[in-house]
Amino acid sequence: MADPAATADVQDFVKFCVPLTGFTAFDLYATDMAGAYLDTARRQVGPERFDTFWTAWKQAVTGGGGPQDLAPTHREVARALVYLWYTGAWPRLAPAAHADLRREQANTEFVVAPEAYVEGLVWRTFHGHPSGAKPPGFGTWGVRPPAPPEVEELRAGLGVRDVAYRTGLDAEVSPEDIPAHLLPGFRSGRHVPPSEVPVATVPGTIEEGRV
Amino acid sequence: MTEHVTADAAARRRYDIVIVGAGWAGSALAQRLGDKGWQVLVLEAGNGDTDTWPGFLDTLSTFRSAVAKVPNSAYRPNAAAPSPNVLDLAPVRNPRPGEPEFTAGGYFVQNGPLPYGTDYLRALGGTAMHWLGAVPRMRDEDFETRTRYGYGRDWPIGAAELQPWYAEAERLLGAAGHGQEQYDLGVVHDSRYEYPMQEIPRSYIDRYCKEAVEGEVITDPVAERDYTLTLYGLPQARNSTPNPRYRTDPPFRVRGAVGLPNFGERCVGNASCVPICPVQAKSLPLRIQAAFPRSVTVANRCVVTRVRRSGERSVSGVEYRTYTDPASPVSRSYVVEADVVVLAAHAIENARLLLFSELANGSGQVGRNLMDHPTVLSWALGAESKGPVGPFRGPGHTSGWEVFRFGEGRRRRAPFRIEIGNWGWGWATGAPMSNVATALGIGGDEHGEVRPDGVFGPELRRLLGSSVGRQLQLQLAVEQPADPGNRVTLDGRHRDAMGNPRPVITYDLSEHVRDGALAARAVAGEIFRRMGADDFTNHAPRDGVPPLGHFVHKGTDLAYSGAGHGAGTHIMGSDPATSVVDADQKTHEFDNLYAVGCGSMASVGTSNPTLTMMALALRSAERIHDSLATARRPVVIRTPDTTEATA
Repeated sequence: MADPAATADVQDFVKFCVPLTGFTAFDLYATDMAGAYLDTARRQVGPERFDTFWTAWKQAVTGGGGPQDLAPTHREVARALVYLWYTGAWPRLAPAAHADLRREQANTEFVVAPEAYVEGLVWRTFHGHPSGAKPPGFGTWGVRPPAPPEVEELRAGLGVRDVAYRTGLDAEVSPEDIPAHLLPGFRSGRHVPPSEVPVATVPGTIEEGRV
Repeated sequence: MTEHVTADAAARRRYDIVIVGAGWAGSALAQRLGDKGWQVLVLEAGNGDTDTWPGFLDTLSTFRSAVAKVPNSAYRPNAAAPSPNVLDLAPVRNPRPGEPEFTAGGYFVQNGPLPYGTDYLRALGGTAMHWLGAVPRMRDEDFETRTRYGYGRDWPIGAAELQPWYAEAERLLGAAGHGQEQYDLGVVHDSRYEYPMQEIPRSYIDRYCKEAVEGEVITDPVAERDYTLTLYGLPQARNSTPNPRYRTDPPFRVRGAVGLPNFGERCVGNASCVPICPVQAKSLPLRIQAAFPRSVTVANRCVVTRVRRSGERSVSGVEYRTYTDPASPVSRSYVVEADVVVLAAHAIENARLLLFSELANGSGQVGRNLMDHPTVLSWALGAESKGPVGPFRGPGHTSGWEVFRFGEGRRRRAPFRIEIGNWGWGWATGAPMSNVATALGIGGDEHGEVRPDGVFGPELRRLLGSSVGRQLQLQLAVEQPADPGNRVTLDGRHRDAMGNPRPVITYDLSEHVRDGALAARAVAGEIFRRMGADDFTNHAPRDGVPPLGHFVHKGTDLAYSGAGHGAGTHIMGSDPATSVVDADQKTHEFDNLYAVGCGSMASVGTSNPTLTMMALALRSAERIHDSLATARRPVVIRTPDTTEATA
C-alpha cells in the first residue's frame, strides 16, 4: 500500500523501509513520522550520500537480496534508519562509517521530536507501549502478555522475500539461545546514550556476585 | 491552579511562618498551618511551570525529547537554582588504584572516595515531581538499630508514636495499599488498618516471580542465615479505587490532575512514574498547593540565601533573592520576617542553608550523616519456555521480597529490600532502546569499525520480542546508616551562578553497607537461578571503564546507583550535643527555627523515605501550631473566614 497523500519520495521511502524494519507500510505510515525520518536521514547522512545508499538498498531488495549485500558504511546507515523507526532517535554511528560519510554533524544520539519517541516501533515488538504515552489502562499490567509472532508469520504478513535479514550471523537467532553480543550490557552511567551501550557479557563468565 | 505572588509582594508583609521549599514537606506544613489560620509564606527557589496544564504538557514533551530519560529529564535546567543531576557523574577510564573512579560536574562538588549518585529537583513541587510514589512504612526495629543490632543511630521517637501520623500522611498523600498485608509485615500496628484506596493491581511480573519462587528458602551467604521468600505488595501514593472499608469520617476523596478536571483519577499504566506521570494519577504536592487556604502565599523563583538571627535563641526571618531569567540570573535581594522559620528545602539544601547562616550547628552535626539507599541492580532474562513477562508496563514496581529487611541478619550486614522491577532492564542497560542498538549491531566494534553482526526486519522484530519481552530486573535497596563522615560542607571557592555556595559532598559506603550490597547481589543471583532465568548481571569494569558506583568487595565487583533518597543532614536526637533537631524537628538551639524533611531522619531503614518524612512533617505542623498558639495567647486566632472578610 501507499499513502496517496504522501509525496513520491516518502512513498518510495516507506516501501523499502518495510523489509528493513519488519513492519508493514500501514504501520509505518500510521506513525505519521515517515516524512520527518526521511528528512532526518538525508540531513544526517548528506543528501547525495543518502541517495547512493538508498539506490544500493533498493537494488539489493529488488535483486532478491538483503542487508548482507550492503557495504559496511551502507549497512551502518541501514541500521541507523531502523533505529530511527524503532526509537524515534538518530543513533551514534560506528566512527568508521561516520568518517567515511564525511558527516558534518556531531556523531551523537538525539531524539528527532517528542512525537517520534512516542511512535517508536520497538514497544510493539513485545506488546508494550512507549513509557509515558499510549497508556493501556488501569490494571492492564497484571495481564499475561501474548507471545511474540514467529518470523515466518511476520514474513508472510509483510510479503517480504524469504531471505536472511541478518549480517555476520550464520543462522537465524534462536530465541532460546540469544547470544550476549546482541544484548545490551551494563551502562557505566546514565549519561551513556542507548546507542552507545556496550553489549552484554556471557552469563557466568565473570565470577561476580557469587560468593 | 495555585495563586503565586512576586518576590516584591511577598516581602511587603510580615508572616507568622515562612517555609523554605514547596515540595512535599513544605506544602503539607503550609496547608496544615494555613488551615489553622496562620499567615504562611512559602518561598520556592525554582520555577512554577508545571502547575498549569499547558505547562505540565510542556514538561511531558521535554521528557519525551530527552535521550537520557533520567529523573530530572522532564524539568528544565535552572542556573539560578541549580539541581544536581545523575548525568553530572562520569566514570574515569583506567583509574589508578586507590583513586576515585569517577568525576563530578554540575551542581555538587564531590571529593569523597565514592560518588553520591542521588539527585533532587528545585522546582515547584520539589523532587516529588519525579518521585516514584512508593510509600512503605518503617518498622519498629528500624528506629532503634543501635540498641538492637549495634549499628547506626536510634531515633528519639519510635514507630508507635508515628502510627497516627503515618495514617494521616497516607490520607494526605492518597495511598493505595493492602492494610492486612502490611500488618502481617509488621509495619502497620493496627490489625484492622485500611488504606484510603485499594491496592494498586500487581503486575504480571509479580505473579511470574511469585509462581516461580514463593516459599523458596534462600541462604544469605553474608548473614549466614536462611530466608523464606514471601512476596508483598507495595503501598503506593497512586490513584486506584477508593477503599469502601476506609473510614468515612471524613470520607476520602480521590484527587486527580491539577488544572484539568476529571483527569488522573486512576492510574492508566503510563509506566513513566519517574520522571513524570502524564495524567497525574501519581500524587504530587501540586494537589495540596491547589487547595491551599487563602492564608497561604506562595512565591516562586525566590532563592533563600540565609536565615537571619535575632537573638540568643531566635531567628527573625530569611533573606532571599529573586531572578527573572533562569538562564542568566541577575538577582535582587529581599528580607522577609516571620515568627517561625521552617526549612523544608531538601536534606542537602537545608544543611547548606544552616551552614551558610552559621546557625544551629553547636553539635557540629549539620551536614553530617548524609544517607541514601545505595541500590544494586541485578538483571536476567526469563526462560523462553515460560513466555514473555510483560516488561515496561504499569508502575515502576508493585511488589517485593521484604524478608531481608529485618531481623538478626542486620548485625552482620546492612539490610536490603528487593524491589521487583516492572520496567525491564531500563535502569541497568537503557533498554529497550539499547536492545535495538545492540541487536542491529550499531555503533561499531572496539576499534570503531562497522560491526559485522546484526539482525534486521522480521528477524529483528522477533528477536526483540524475546530479548526485551523476557527482561527481569531486581533493584536491591540497601540501608545506609548515619555515618558522620558522609557529609555536606561548603567551600567559598565553589559557588553557583547566583553566587550561592554549592554543596561539597564527601561520600563513602561503610563495611556494613558493602556487606549488605554483597549479600543482596548474591541473593538476587540465587533467586534468578531458582527461577530458571539467565543472569546477565555484570558490575565489572568494561574495557577499563568501571561503572559508576563500582567497588570491589571481598573479591567481587559490585556497583550501586543512587536512589534519590537524600537524608540525615540535620539529624534528629534528644541530645543537643550530638544532634541538630529534636523529635519535633525544631533545632535544639533556636526556639523558632525548624528543619524538616528527610534530613531529620536518624535512620532510613529500607523504606522509601517520603512517607516517614510526611508523617514527621504533619507531626511538626501540630507542634508549631501549639507553640504559636501558646505564644500568642490570649489573642484570638484568625481563621480563613475572618481573613477573607477583612481582606
